[in-house]
Amino acid sequence: MTQEELQALTVNKSVDARGTACPGPLLEAKKAIGTINSGDIMEILSADEGTKRDIPKWANKKGHEYLGTVEESGYFKIYLKKG
Amino acid sequence: MSKLCMGLFSGSLDKLTAAGVILSGAAADDMDVEVFVLLQGARAFIKGNENKIDNLAEASFLKDEFLSSLEKLKVSTWYEFFEMSKDMTNVKIYICSLAGKIWGGEKLEDFNDLVDDICGIGEYLTSAEEADIHMFI
Repeated sequence: MTQEELQALTVNKSVDARGTACPGPLLEAKKAIGTINSGDIMEILSADEGTKRDIPKWANKKGHEYLGTVEESGYFKIYLKKG
Repeated sequence: MSKLCMGLFSGSLDKLTAAGVILSGAAADDMDVEVFVLLQGARAFIKGNENKIDNLAEASFLKDEFLSSLEKLKVSTWYEFFEMSKDMTNVKIYICSLAGKIWGGEKLEDFNDLVDDICGIGEYLTSAEEADIHMFI
């Protein structure tokens, strides 16, 4: 997905994990994905560099679709579609 | 579902924190986890000791810096990591009976709430044999 397409997504769940270091964002993502339905879109906000690689790999392994990452100033937004 | 077997020999704050971070990663992955607590590790699991652990195994001369960084980064305590992981996935924590005795723990009630049972070394090796991942900390 392009950056514009990611920005335009309707998000069903947004998780703000910018206050925590690894493994905080991953744990927040794991908890939150249990609360949404298959096909829903979730965004995770993280300021932890490790999360950029960690969450896409985790998502693919768990059968969710990694849609892409948008870099903001000082943090980034990771988009997933629940499988 | 994959299985992680961890031999937790270390009872220092830095290594317990590392073990806790790894367990939480395993929890995010829904792994089955068995932790076998050996010698030095068992001291941390004696009831009432969880907040008394403050020694570092590595770079102990930088302890103040290490502790203040953990606080600044809002890193959970080792105990919280273990608790969280147990809440999120199937984590069993077993104390090696010899290790328990060394630190004055003979029965299950001598240990904190994280502990599921007391075991022997044979069970640890069988678990390691059957696991997809085995690590020793």
